[in-house]
Amino acid sequence: MSVISTKNLSKEYSSKSFSQENILALNNFSFEVESGEIFGLLGPNGAGKTTLIKILLGITFPSQGEIKIFNKEINDESYKFKVGYLPENHKFPNYLTGEQVLHYFGKLSGMSSMDVKKKSDEYLKLVDMDKWRKTKIKKYSKGMLQRLGLAQAMLNNPELIFLDEPTDGVDPIGRKEIRDVLNNLKEEGKTVFLNSHLLSEVELICDRVAILNKGSLVRLGRVDDITSVSDNYTFTTSDMKEDLLNSLLNNYKATINGANEFCINTLSIEDLNAIIDLLRKNKILIHGLVREKNTLENMFINLIGSQN
Amino acid sequence: MIFLTLIFSTFREAIAKKIFIGFFAISTLIILIFLFLINVDSVEGMVNMMESTGEEGVKQLVIGFEVAMINISYLLIITFCFISVSSFIPSMLEKGHIDLLLSKPVSRTKIILAKFLGGVLLIFISLLYLIGFVWLILSIKSGFWHVPFLYSILWLTLSFAIIYSLIIFIGLVSQSTILSIIVSLFLVFIVGPVLYFREETIFSLVSNEAFQFIVNFFYYILPKPTDINQITTDMITGNPIKSYMPVFSSLLFMLASLSASIFYFRKKDY
Repeated sequence: MSVISTKNLSKEYSSKSFSQENILALNNFSFEVESGEIFGLLGPNGAGKTTLIKILLGITFPSQGEIKIFNKEINDESYKFKVGYLPENHKFPNYLTGEQVLHYFGKLSGMSSMDVKKKSDEYLKLVDMDKWRKTKIKKYSKGMLQRLGLAQAMLNNPELIFLDEPTDGVDPIGRKEIRDVLNNLKEEGKTVFLNSHLLSEVELICDRVAILNKGSLVRLGRVDDITSVSDNYTFTTSDMKEDLLNSLLNNYKATINGANEFCINTLSIEDLNAIIDLLRKNKILIHGLVREKNTLENMFINLIGSQN
Repeated sequence: MIFLTLIFSTFREAIAKKIFIGFFAISTLIILIFLFLINVDSVEGMVNMMESTGEEGVKQLVIGFEVAMINISYLLIITFCFISVSSFIPSMLEKGHIDLLLSKPVSRTKIILAKFLGGVLLIFISLLYLIGFVWLILSIKSGFWHVPFLYSILWLTLSFAIIYSLIIFIGLVSQSTILSIIVSLFLVFIVGPVLYFREETIFSLVSNEAFQFIVNFFYYILPKPTDINQITTDMITGNPIKSYMPVFSSLLFMLASLSASIFYFRKKDY
C-alpha cells in the first residue's frame, strides 16, 4: 500500500527580480512510497528535496500536480495526526526546556497531556536526552538539538516520519544510534522518509531511494539495484606480455592499468573464469582479484556529474 | 485543545521574553504611585476639601484621577504592549519554527486567530490587574464605587486589539518587528490624533475640497484609537458619547486586517 503518492508534481517559485526567470524547484515529479519502507531522497543542493518534503507536509503549496498521503488529498489536514517531522535546521523556542518542547509540540499534534508525558519519558531515554530534559534548549549543542528533534518527530507515534538531515551535527556514535532508531521504526512498520547528504548512511538504512537533480527525478529504485552495476573486477598479476594485454583489451574490453594490473567489467561468471584460465595458461601469476561494487556515493557523483 | 495550546504558547512566549513581568512591574509601580499619592497630605487635604463640598466633589476628584489613569494607560501601557507583541509573529515565522508549526494538524487560520486572541487576552489580563487595582484603591479611599471606570479595561483592550490586528498583518508580510512597532506607534500617536483633530488642524490650513475628501476618506477607513480613547473618557466622565461610528469603523478595520492576514498566511509558501 502506498503511503505517499505524487503525480506530475511541479513547483515554480516566482523570481523576486523582474530580470530573472521563475525558478522551477520541482518538475513533473511522480513517485510512490510504500508502507513500512525507509525511503531516501538524494540530490545536490538546490535539487528540490526540501521543497518536496515541504509540499508533502503542506508547508509549501505545489504549482501543479496531485499528492495523496494515506490515500487522502493533502488539503485534508487530518493526515498530519499520523505524521512526524524533523526539519533541517529546526528552531524550537529557546526559552523552553527539552521536556517543554516535547509537551508543546505533542499537544500541537493532538496528544493528551498524559500521553505526552508517557511518550516524552520513553523517547527522551531512547535518544539519550533524559538527563537534559529540564535544561533550557538554548544551552543545547547542535547534536543535542537533533536528538531532541528526533524525539519530537516520533512523539505522536506517527505512521510516517519525515526526517530532513537527521544526523546533521551528530557525532559518529550518535549517528549510529539514530540509524538504530530508524531501523527500529522500520521493524515497527513505520514508514520513514529520509533526506540526507550522507550517502553512506542512506545506503546503510534505506530500502529505496529517489535521486533528484534540478527539480527532476533522475533515478528511483531499490538501493541494491541502483548500486549494483555490472561487476568490475580488478586483477593484479605478474608482468604480462603485450600480446596477452592486447588480447584482454580486444576480447574482454579490459582497462589496462600497466603491465600487471587491469580491470574487467563483466556480467558473466563464465567470462571471469575464462580470463583466469587464459592468464594461467600463459603462466601469469594472479596476485589479487578484487570485485568492485559501486557505492551509492560513486553512483550519485557519476550520475549528477554527468548531468551538470 | 490544539487551539488552546497555541494561545497558551503566546502567554508562555510573553512570560519568557519578560514581557508579562515587565508589564506587571510597570503596573505595580503605577499602582504604588497611586497608593502613595492618595495618602500624601496634599491629596488627603484635597479629598477632605472635596468631602466638605459634598459627595459630588469627591466624585469629581475620583473621576479626575480615573481620567488621568486612562491617559497614562493609553500612553504608557498601550505603547509598551505594542512593542511587546510586535515580535510574536516575526518570531513565529522564523525558519525552522514555522515549518514545524505548519506540519502539525492545525489550520493556518487557527494559528493566526490563536496569536491574535493570545495577545489580546494577555493585554486584557494586564489591564485588569492595573486598572482593577487602581479602581479598588480609589473606591476604598473615596467610598465612591465608580463602575464605568472598569469598563475602560474593555475599551483599552479593544483599542489594542484593533491595532494588534494590523501589527499581525505587517508582521506576516514584512517579518519585521521594528516595522510593526513603527507603523503601530505612528498610527496611534501621529495619524490617529491628526485625523481626529483634522478640522482644527489640516482643514484650517488647506481648504481644498478634494484634499479634504481624501483626508476624510483616510479618517473613515483607518482605525481611530484617539476617538475610542475619547469615548472611554466621555464614558468615565459621564459626558454624552457623540457617536459610536469610530468604534464600528475601527472594528471593521480590525476584521479586514485579520481577514487579510489569514488570506495571506493561507497562501504563503514557507
